[in-house]
Amino acid sequence: MISCDSFRMRFHTGTDDAALLEHLRACDRCLDFAAHADPDVMFRALGGSEIVPPGGVDAFVDGVMQQVRVRDAETTVAAGHVVAWPRRFAMAAAVAIAAFGATLVYRNDVPVNLEPIHRAELRTLTTKPIVEAYDSQNATIVEVPTEETDDVKIVMIFDENLPADL
Amino acid sequence: MIPTTPTVEPDDRQLVETIRGGDTDAFETLVRRKTSKVYALCYRIIGNAEDAKDISQLVFLKLWENLEKYDPQYAFDTWLYRMVTNVAIDFMRNKQSRDNAVNSNLRLVKTAADPEQSVVVQRKEVENVFNEVSAILSPKQKTIFVMNQMEDLPSAEIAKVLGCRESTVRNHLFNARKLMQAQLQRRFPEYAQLWRAK
Repeated sequence: MISCDSFRMRFHTGTDDAALLEHLRACDRCLDFAAHADPDVMFRALGGSEIVPPGGVDAFVDGVMQQVRVRDAETTVAAGHVVAWPRRFAMAAAVAIAAFGATLVYRNDVPVNLEPIHRAELRTLTTKPIVEAYDSQNATIVEVPTEETDDVKIVMIFDENLPADL
Repeated sequence: MIPTTPTVEPDDRQLVETIRGGDTDAFETLVRRKTSKVYALCYRIIGNAEDAKDISQLVFLKLWENLEKYDPQYAFDTWLYRMVTNVAIDFMRNKQSRDNAVNSNLRLVKTAADPEQSVVVQRKEVENVFNEVSAILSPKQKTIFVMNQMEDLPSAEIAKVLGCRESTVRNHLFNARKLMQAQLQRRFPEYAQLWRAK
């Protein structure tokens, strides 16, 4: 690296001289001198040198390589899964064939009932009114309104003289 | 005396070829060779040592996973820098949106210093000033500024790294300087006279 004297003699505004920049980035005394001579070098002084990460290069490289190995292991496991798929399909096919075969055997064992199926008679269930006609002066007769025309009509009769057997 | 043949270190492209052949040790050599460079760029863009370390590690993992995509006809460092800037810019964008959400009302303005006061420029202080005033820049502007002013990359090289035109790089540089100058004026007036926007 050049000396401070040499730097101060050679330094000029807007310099891109590598030797001057190297000195500027290493020497605090010359930084002040240069920044007052050429304001633009102020932030340039921060650059240049390579910086060591916290903990040192060895620890950093070890960290990276450890993660690389983890990634590699993950990739290998994932690749193993890919290889296992055909095997999985073969197992699934075997299970399906076994199930199908079992169904056939089960069907052959059970005698098939060949008797014709009797169709159940259809019966129309209707309700018969308890009282078809009722006439009374004291009765209160309530008719529940129906929504459809063919709905069952519900009629309630409140009468003290209503026969007990109804 | 046993004659010894001098061991020649393989260059980056040769190392990449060896790694592609499945040699993990060669990758370790490459990581060791590039650690300081990658970390320095991350640190200058991000401005925080621990975050820069995490991002650098992430860059190397991405490098390991994408090494097949590297085309040896291009410079390895350009490809590596592209990876670093992509990861760092992504990180900065996420960080900025988080910070904006939390600190939207916390914009401190330092105006106590006398602008006429002469200042002794010290490296640590310059670093603090840079971290403060460059916070105004977009991740891309800051990345370009750092690569040009601190990594000494010419705008043509930066354009290759970022995959854009050289004029775009120059525009970003111009805007970055203007924004930083305004921030210096507001927050560090004593330094504003020491650094001007071109």
